[in-house]
Amino acid sequence: MRNARFLAGLALAASLLGLLFAAYSTYDYAQHLDRQIHTIHCSFIPGASGDTTAENPCKVALFSSYSAIFRASYWGGVPISLFAVGAFSFFLGFSVYLLMSNLRAPKRAYLFFGIAGVTPLMASLIMFFISLTRLHAFCKVCVGIYFSSALLAASAVMALLHYRRIAHVHLPPDPHGPTQVDSAAGNPLLLVGWLAALGLAAILPALVYVAALPDYRPYLSSCGKLEVPQEQHNALLKLPTAHPVKAVTFFEDPLCPTCRAFHERLIDEGVLENLDVTLVMFPLDSECNWMLDRSLHPGACMLSKAVLCGGNQARAILEWSYSEQDSLRELGKGNPAAIEKKIRERFGSDVMQCAQDKKTAARLNQHLHYASNNHIPVSTPQMFLGDKRICDEDTDLGLKYTLSQLSPEVLR
Amino acid sequence: MSAYSPHQPPNPNRRAIDAVDAPPGGGSPPFLPALVGGVAGVIVLLATTLTVRATVSGAADRLTHPQTPAASTPESKVAVADQSEEKYCTPGFKTVLQRVLNACGLVGGESRRGCQPADVKTFASINDEDFNALFTPLKDRGAVIMFDDGSDALDPGAKKLLEERWLDRKGARYFFIVARASRTGSADFNRTLSHKRANSVHFFLQEQFKDPDLEKQVGMLWLGNEFAQLTKEYCDWPASRSSAKCNADALNRSAFVSWVDCRL
Repeated sequence: MRNARFLAGLALAASLLGLLFAAYSTYDYAQHLDRQIHTIHCSFIPGASGDTTAENPCKVALFSSYSAIFRASYWGGVPISLFAVGAFSFFLGFSVYLLMSNLRAPKRAYLFFGIAGVTPLMASLIMFFISLTRLHAFCKVCVGIYFSSALLAASAVMALLHYRRIAHVHLPPDPHGPTQVDSAAGNPLLLVGWLAALGLAAILPALVYVAALPDYRPYLSSCGKLEVPQEQHNALLKLPTAHPVKAVTFFEDPLCPTCRAFHERLIDEGVLENLDVTLVMFPLDSECNWMLDRSLHPGACMLSKAVLCGGNQARAILEWSYSEQDSLRELGKGNPAAIEKKIRERFGSDVMQCAQDKKTAARLNQHLHYASNNHIPVSTPQMFLGDKRICDEDTDLGLKYTLSQLSPEVLR
Repeated sequence: MSAYSPHQPPNPNRRAIDAVDAPPGGGSPPFLPALVGGVAGVIVLLATTLTVRATVSGAADRLTHPQTPAASTPESKVAVADQSEEKYCTPGFKTVLQRVLNACGLVGGESRRGCQPADVKTFASINDEDFNALFTPLKDRGAVIMFDDGSDALDPGAKKLLEERWLDRKGARYFFIVARASRTGSADFNRTLSHKRANSVHFFLQEQFKDPDLEKQVGMLWLGNEFAQLTKEYCDWPASRSSAKCNADALNRSAFVSWVDCRL
């Protein structure tokens, strides 16, 4: 009995903890539905600490393409944490039931809980794997959910063990039970009912969320357009892709974490290869960018010039800059010359020689003038679909929805 | 399925199970835990669902009625990309710049390129010293391209310096060529000579860089020997002939060039 009570208590604590973390994660996500910038909870203590920096791992997770589903149908999609909110709510109620019933719960209740209680952990393992291999960042709130799921799974395993112990044991009759069979093993229909209740609980918050979403279509084309689409000097760069069907212009900085996340999002959503990309290098580094009074990303000018000099390797150099961004950013802060060494080692001295040429600096300057002629915001990334500017919030949470509305052919 | 029946033979494990697991006393009615658990689950689910709805509705309200005082403060506004604007862009400088642009063929699509002394005197409306003073802060951006006496030919040093200066555009929008001639010879001759010197620089840039925007970027003035002659203090400026003896005559056999970092 102590075991049964302990497992129910553990399940209750795990459900409560999971519910708190999932609720904060959902709250952070839903806050962004107003298309503004908000702080994001990122702590092992539920509800503590907000952070707006791009390096915040909870922000990385939130803005990744894995944080929500049905992104093409709804602006921002339906956050996965909503399903966790529903599921943990169900398990919270179920663990209260197990705790109060003191072994009078039917045996099938333990069987059901033993199986169903592991499902949040399975979902968490998938998300953990994605965090490890794709995001390279662990969001503390997400880790809180993983931990809660693991606790719940532990209690579920205990429930299964308990079920094994009592499966072939005849328990004393329940004087209040309608039938002795029901009170001991439980009606098989209960399994179906609990499963249906779990399913309903899991999707109810998502259904309500979707029903409450506003219509975003009027906002999608409200961020202006390229005033001077043509670059007279032929200085801009074409980024090779597999099946280009729609012309886009990207303003990017090789050392900007948001650009990296944007690039990865385009790849993860399966969109990049369908875009005919014109790349405008827009390094936020005062070494070459006169629009800044200080460098946000020192070393970005040299990397931008290397991309311009890349020829067939231009995309590879850009993607290398993104994949090595953390170490390159550190090098840029302390010793920008070390970045040149890295470029030379990785892509050869020809690229580096070209990157140091004054004409390449002048070409990069043409990129910056292209940005100033078009009066784009001094922030990266910027995306133009044709000559239409995609609002910043539509390049992250709303990317797939925006593309499905404005250029559905790129999603095919 | 295994179920309890009073008619079944006794289970050898039963004593142990009962001793360990059986609840003390009769316990509560069997439906109560299910009822309490169910109600708890439903309440929590409804509470979270309603919170989700309220959060989404709140975001929708903020979307349609944005009320973010913090976002409207100047500090929080994202800057917009634009050409550079340096401290030397004083109102006086900008007035002259605007008049040069209007009068000397840089804006409005006039076919005429450049301005001569009479034009400059008219639109600048300032004396020689004040005119030169406007350009004094351009020392770091500018250069003096020097010519032989009576010549408008660019030597290798001049070409190299011109190339360096042109490539060092940064955020500037306009490039000025202000050509002069020393006081040897007649005013007419020097006016023509300084015009040719301005053209030499202009044609070199055109030939070397083939910039399609050149006509919209380069402002040309030729001052002959009549207006805003350079004094010896300009000997400190970057020049194409640093080893040559510097005096007022040599300085004015020149074309002063500079990018101008001003917005209009």
